[in-house]
Amino acid sequence: MGDWANILYVVVVSTIRMSVPMILASVGAAFSVRSGIMALGCEGMMIAGAFFAVMGSFFTGSPWMGILFGIVFGIIFSLLHGVLNIRYKVNQTLSGMSVNLLAAAVAPLILQIVWKSKGISPKVASFKKLNIGILEEIPIIGSILAEQNILFYITLILVVVGYYYMFKTPQGLRMRMVGENPVAANTVGINVVGYKYLGVMLSGAFNGLAGAYLSLAQLDMYIDGMTAGRGYIAMVISTFGKNSPVGAMLGSLFFGFFDALQTIFQGGVIPSQIVRTLPYVLTMLVVVFGLKSARNPAGMGKHHDE
Amino acid sequence: MDMLQMKNISKSFPGTKALDSVDFYLKEREILSLLGENGAGKTTLMKVLYGMLHPDTGEIYYKGEQVHLKSPLDAINKGICMVHQHFMLVPAFTVMDNIIVGNEPKSGLFVDEKKAREEVKALINRFNFNINPDTRVEKLSVGEQQRVEILKALYRKADVIILDEPTAVLTPHEVDSLFVILRKLKEEGKSIVIITHKLRETMAIADRINVLRDGKMIETDIDPKKATIHSLSEMMVGRQVALGIKRPAKNIGDVAFKVEHLKVIEDGVAKIKGIDFSIRKGEILGIAGIEGNGQTQLLESLTGLNNPESMKLTLKGKEIKGSADVFLRSGIGHIPEDRLTMGLATEMTIKDNLILGYHKSPSLQRNGILSKKKIRDYSNRCKEDFNIKTPTIDVKAKSLSGGNQQKIVIARTFSHDPEVIIAAHPTRGVDVGAMEYIHSKLLDLRDEGKAVLLISADLDEVRSLSDRILVLYEGRIVSESMPGELSEVQLGLLMTGNRIDEEVEDEIREID
Repeated sequence: MGDWANILYVVVVSTIRMSVPMILASVGAAFSVRSGIMALGCEGMMIAGAFFAVMGSFFTGSPWMGILFGIVFGIIFSLLHGVLNIRYKVNQTLSGMSVNLLAAAVAPLILQIVWKSKGISPKVASFKKLNIGILEEIPIIGSILAEQNILFYITLILVVVGYYYMFKTPQGLRMRMVGENPVAANTVGINVVGYKYLGVMLSGAFNGLAGAYLSLAQLDMYIDGMTAGRGYIAMVISTFGKNSPVGAMLGSLFFGFFDALQTIFQGGVIPSQIVRTLPYVLTMLVVVFGLKSARNPAGMGKHHDE
Repeated sequence: MDMLQMKNISKSFPGTKALDSVDFYLKEREILSLLGENGAGKTTLMKVLYGMLHPDTGEIYYKGEQVHLKSPLDAINKGICMVHQHFMLVPAFTVMDNIIVGNEPKSGLFVDEKKAREEVKALINRFNFNINPDTRVEKLSVGEQQRVEILKALYRKADVIILDEPTAVLTPHEVDSLFVILRKLKEEGKSIVIITHKLRETMAIADRINVLRDGKMIETDIDPKKATIHSLSEMMVGRQVALGIKRPAKNIGDVAFKVEHLKVIEDGVAKIKGIDFSIRKGEILGIAGIEGNGQTQLLESLTGLNNPESMKLTLKGKEIKGSADVFLRSGIGHIPEDRLTMGLATEMTIKDNLILGYHKSPSLQRNGILSKKKIRDYSNRCKEDFNIKTPTIDVKAKSLSGGNQQKIVIARTFSHDPEVIIAAHPTRGVDVGAMEYIHSKLLDLRDEGKAVLLISADLDEVRSLSDRILVLYEGRIVSESMPGELSEVQLGLLMTGNRIDEEVEDEIREID
């Protein structure tokens, strides 16, 4: 019995650990998509977030400053996607990919210049498990919560706030209108361009934070390729979760669970390389079978003045 | 009192002068019909009034004050709302969300859904609409969606409501209910502008008629009681128009085109249940029927676009089988049902559209490669012969009006010397001038000895052009008659599946 309880504990803890960055990234993707902009740049924004968070933490010694750097650079990279798309009406696939390519090139370049290192940054100040005091006494849940850092709680708050913003406020309704039908939104006097920028910048902020979580909470450094395609998976999760923050969270937990299974199976009969492909195989299966009923906003990629 | 005035409004687009010193005024409590052909500048003028376009010159006075409308929001805030031809609704949103978005009632940071629902319900009840505010718009009929658009305007406290081609998408019954709504709005003190090119409806609803032509205001003070359909259409087109041309066939020859045992099953449902007919040289065979009774399947079968259960098709004694390409090259010309989805690639140039499907023709090639020069000459000839109104043949097809787009389709089909023309709704959504032109072209072709099959939802069109009329009902031909043999009412009865036996005819006589 003790073994099973232990396994369950490990699965839950690592599910959460794997899920948090996915939740952040896919909520970000949801905002982008809801405002009518394809969330194809998430991977790049996440890389930027992970890398510049480490830089911020390295130069200031504070992981909080690191987070701030991560978010700011996530937004800057999202603006590349945004400006190309909104201002210059570049095809969304191209502008999204350009963000990913640029970020994947910039990070190793700066890594080389600043730290003379190929692929790995030095260790920096990172987030530790949070001391939750009395809560730790709660059976099972207490020990699970004890494993989490502050970003876990911030993520939960962001999901709730994001949900209310998107579905309960006038601004959220307007943003969704822009995503569904920018021409119609324009005719009722909604600032279409503004909401598109807002959506894409929110996606940058969320993905920057997701990247920062990878480098400053899961680890304490930047490693080239550490995002490992999570930005693309986030895009799928967002659609899978009906582009709602709550749906994105549930979808991320689902994916996080399979990601966590790796931990259990590793060292078992199945070679770890195969186990590690699980989340990606799952993504593919979801794309093929799970997205049939899911729909993205009707106005994706459309502009109000055409 | 004048609700609003527009003085000396001009607006140019690259290549065209859309509005040329137009003056316009609107009184309180009136329904004004802004009449004109497609491309005359009606919509442009109203978009200026709605702040969507900015005029090059001119002034706008609203309720006695000069206003500068920079965006639709300015116009909405002043009380000017527009119901667009293509509805500005989000199908995935509820009726309520569609109505309130942009002007949401708030409680704190959030939308006050309770108050919003009350307000929307009150509006719905005021007009006795049978719409649930929580239904998604995609579940509503077109007529209901239009009502949602009107509610949107009323929710924004509009005093002036502009409706762009409001009847284009409605069934006759829905048109009647729309008119009831418009009259009620007028009683409530609203001023209404209807943009339209439909003359009968204008006469039925308008208090005053304006006519625009080629960006110029021709007449602003027409009393519908004094106007006639003929006088209005002359003003719109700028010359005498022959409405409902009739030209009986002179030399009907041998059978050119023969269809036997045509059966089509789609998704397990028999859409066409065994029909036979033939068309002679120099004859127009009209097919009347309410849409959805097999017309689409019939068209697809005759042009090689589907695989019927059974069909024997002979053209001049030769059987035709195979793909759509074979059909096309055997001399079956096709004017498709919907020019936007089947007839044209709207993102491509007029020139490219004119060769679609005929690109294999040697007359357009040199040494097996498409010849730019030949295509250019051919396209310019089409432009001349078919009176396609465009600055050049190098602009995208989507930049043209519906009538001119349809002329591209017709030019393409007619200029490749087909033996048979399968024409589906050839004048749907085109203006009076283009309609007259297309009709006369069809008749010319017939007089040259071609066989024409005309499928149209417009009974007037079928009756005036056809030399013989079939009625299609639930996949069967239920009647064959000569023009004039059956009245409009009798055809209407056949189209809805009724028989016209003696009894019914007597009844009709009594009603008449």
